[in-house]
Amino acid sequence: MAPNDEHPDKSERGSAVSRRAFLKTAGVSSLAASVVGVEVGAQPAGPPMVGPGETAVHLMVNGKRVDLQIEPRVTLLNALRNHADITGNKRGCDRGACGACTMIVDGRAVYSCSTLAIEVQGKQVRTVDGLAVGNKLHPVQQAFYDHDALMCGFCTPGFIMASVALLEKHPTPTPTQLRKGLDGNICRCGTFKRIREAVASVKGVPHV
Amino acid sequence: MSNPRIPDPAPAPQPPPARPGDPPPTTFPTAGSAQPPVDTQPISADAKKWAWPEKPTLLGTRVKRVDGPNKVTGRAKYTFDINRPGMLFGKIARSPYAHARIAAIDLSQAEKAPGVKAVLAWKEVGAEVMFQGDPVAAVAADTDERAVDAMRLIRVRYEQLPHVISDAQATAPGAPVVFKGGNTTPGSTEETGSLSDGFKQAAHTIEANYSTHVITHCCMESHGSVCEWDGDKLTAWISTQAVHGSKQGFAQGLKIPEANVRTITEYMGGGFGSKVGPDAQGLICAQLAKLAKAPVKLMLDRKEEQLDSGNRPGASVRVKAGVTAEGKLTAWEGTSLGSGGAGAAAGFPLPYLYDFPNRKRTHTDVYINAGRQRAMRAPGHPQGCFLTEIMMDELADIVKMDPVAFRINNVPAVAANTMWAEYFTSGAKTFGWDKRHPTGDKTPGPIKTGMGVSAHRWGGGGRGAQVHCDITSDGGLVVKCGTQDIGTGTRTIVTMVAAETAGLPMSAIKAEIGDSRLPFAGASGGSTTCAGVSPAVRITVGKALDALFERVAPQLGVKADTLVASGGRVHVKGSPAKGFTWKEACKLVGTEPISVDGKWEPGLSAAGTCGVQFAEVEVDIETGIVRVKRVLAIQDCGLIVDRLTAESQVHGGVISSLSFALFEDRILDRNTGQMVNPNMEMYLLAGMSDIPQIDAVLVDSPEQRARGVIGIGEPPTVSTSAAIANAVRNAIGVPLRSLPLHPHKILAAMAQGKAAGTL
Repeated sequence: MAPNDEHPDKSERGSAVSRRAFLKTAGVSSLAASVVGVEVGAQPAGPPMVGPGETAVHLMVNGKRVDLQIEPRVTLLNALRNHADITGNKRGCDRGACGACTMIVDGRAVYSCSTLAIEVQGKQVRTVDGLAVGNKLHPVQQAFYDHDALMCGFCTPGFIMASVALLEKHPTPTPTQLRKGLDGNICRCGTFKRIREAVASVKGVPHV
Repeated sequence: MSNPRIPDPAPAPQPPPARPGDPPPTTFPTAGSAQPPVDTQPISADAKKWAWPEKPTLLGTRVKRVDGPNKVTGRAKYTFDINRPGMLFGKIARSPYAHARIAAIDLSQAEKAPGVKAVLAWKEVGAEVMFQGDPVAAVAADTDERAVDAMRLIRVRYEQLPHVISDAQATAPGAPVVFKGGNTTPGSTEETGSLSDGFKQAAHTIEANYSTHVITHCCMESHGSVCEWDGDKLTAWISTQAVHGSKQGFAQGLKIPEANVRTITEYMGGGFGSKVGPDAQGLICAQLAKLAKAPVKLMLDRKEEQLDSGNRPGASVRVKAGVTAEGKLTAWEGTSLGSGGAGAAAGFPLPYLYDFPNRKRTHTDVYINAGRQRAMRAPGHPQGCFLTEIMMDELADIVKMDPVAFRINNVPAVAANTMWAEYFTSGAKTFGWDKRHPTGDKTPGPIKTGMGVSAHRWGGGGRGAQVHCDITSDGGLVVKCGTQDIGTGTRTIVTMVAAETAGLPMSAIKAEIGDSRLPFAGASGGSTTCAGVSPAVRITVGKALDALFERVAPQLGVKADTLVASGGRVHVKGSPAKGFTWKEACKLVGTEPISVDGKWEPGLSAAGTCGVQFAEVEVDIETGIVRVKRVLAIQDCGLIVDRLTAESQVHGGVISSLSFALFEDRILDRNTGQMVNPNMEMYLLAGMSDIPQIDAVLVDSPEQRARGVIGIGEPPTVSTSAAIANAVRNAIGVPLRSLPLHPHKILAAMAQGKAAGTL
């Protein structure tokens, strides 16, 4: 934000890969040191370093391969929105609090604003853009439309993806499962009542 | 809150000048219990001719929004989704301090940063920043990430100045004067009747302080735009509630002709009153695009959004009120404060709604070093409602009356726009108010239940929307209006009204909105859009039909004024067989299409709504956590256009008000002047687990239908917070005189109640 405002949240997230790599390195080397007696500071075997410049990142999004040339720090959300023009999922808070960016990665709902694109290579990424088959809406999309479970619609893609993930796991969710499944998403227009009704009305979702 | 005397209020200070691009100052009625206006303009001839149908086919039914499929599939392109060829990303460097003078701005390192194409200083050296988040300089770079990097390389040296971030700090004796002319503007005193007489008539009086807090709009799509120049012509995709207003704002801010600006808002992700012009970020975006000779997208991040895109200002009042032994209000005397941030006034209607025959109010605007307020969903009313309604329950207890009966005793007489007495009665029955226990739930156990009630009003009304309608020989009917759909369903309503008027299915209508090249329509604010646009569409499509009838009549050997359009046909009134199908009729149009302009005219819309709401809560007195179980909202809105989206408006208003009452709070650190929670994880908003049962009752009586269309985007959000607070008081038995109802305040109020011996 401001020059001397260090954005602790962002710098922490931005360095997630290297911090994890550091922990892994530390773990491996201390283990190695204690067991085999290798010199401290030896380079362990590991994945090659990438970045900080642009690097090739290959994603599978909605069943299609997406090849990008991006910096490793680019989030999954920004990679798709800014570099592949896949803009269905939205950026609301950019730090995993509002859920507008919710995508499904290998069957799990994730905040794509808090996931690095480079981390989901080799995984199946699903966004709201890929749910409908031609003009045939996914049952969850149809339910949101039928129940007017949207107003401005900006949070809707995230809510729909969270609902799809919920219903793929719990085809007939209890009221508690439904609430908990959607507690990670925020709507500012106040559509929660009808989202609840829409999701509860869905009679089964396609097997993925 | 106390209101210490200000040593020297004269001369009347002027608020600091608004920045270029700032929305026009919003003024709110501060008159006491003035009632909502009723349209008194004579009904126009067009409005008489195209009066709303007595037996509509579409109006009043549940119609799914026409852009629903685009929104659920992600195909709807919001401003945030616009990607232009060669587009850059803009980023603004902002003041980290609540108050400082800019000693130096060094852009050189930012200019040299990778990917940077443009850098500019928005403020001059020597200028003051008046709140944390005040924009100072900006960059544009080829990626989002590099724009952030470069923004951090903008070096600004600040000389910190003293700041004030609360009413108490701003008005304390010896407080630093941080605004030219003083930290306050004492408003005029309003007086009606005779206070001394009023208090003489009172058998009981109450004296107390009531206050509300500051919340932010927190739109899901942040403020921002994508600006692209073609020579000296600017196209701006902008997230706004005012497509035409934004065009004017860009032209004025950039000092270019309005004819050179085009603004587009196909879809937008919420505004709630805060998005009525380009603001600083829009003008910065346009200037960066000009400098870089490339399109620039500049959307605020969440922190910027929380700091510098508006808020609902706080309000407080020190009040003394009197009531007779029979429960009639006699007098109200209040000294109120409103703090709208750095140089913004903050008015609110007070006392709210009820008849206080003798009253006197003195209002003072207090300036603090924080982001400026903007109109927020029913501006002023949630504050005025809370400050009054909480006191009403306390007065009802003093005279030992049921809160509903006490309110009915003191509301204005029933009229079309003042229906409270009826709604209180019918609502109480529907809600099961007879099961409400007196103040304080005496049942054992930590979970206490309670019920509360509140009432509200709103003005609204239609205003000058313009519409263009084309009917072409292939049967096409196109309606064009430069209004915008901010989530309320305007696109659907335009389509519905055109289809209803032409007797066609909605699929036959092409509605174009959201572009400044379309005919003028006002900002979507004050719940005026539906009431402005619907009559304009009705009249314009009606005029186009008249022109069609002129061309069709000779072929049928009848006079044009005997024809009607209904059921997909153009035919002689009362004889559907004598006529043509719509397509056949349109073939007679020939090569020169029917092309008609029209506008809003009085007679098909009205101003003045009212509503009452009931809430039931559970309070855990061990944790202080409040859970709302049920809300009943009775709301009138004249002639209902789309019942489905109208109900959604009521649900949304209730949920937004619940969030205001229980969760949201802009917290400023009193030492640093910085916002502690400029995000969405610490700035709490209601989520799925917090949503109660909500029953929305839209009043749909012949009397209300006869009034014409009235917007209801705002009124339903006024009452809920006060009804919840009254329900909490009913549950725990001690007064709660300030929002939000956070757990620690519930526990503190109970501890205070115990100490005072009332519990």
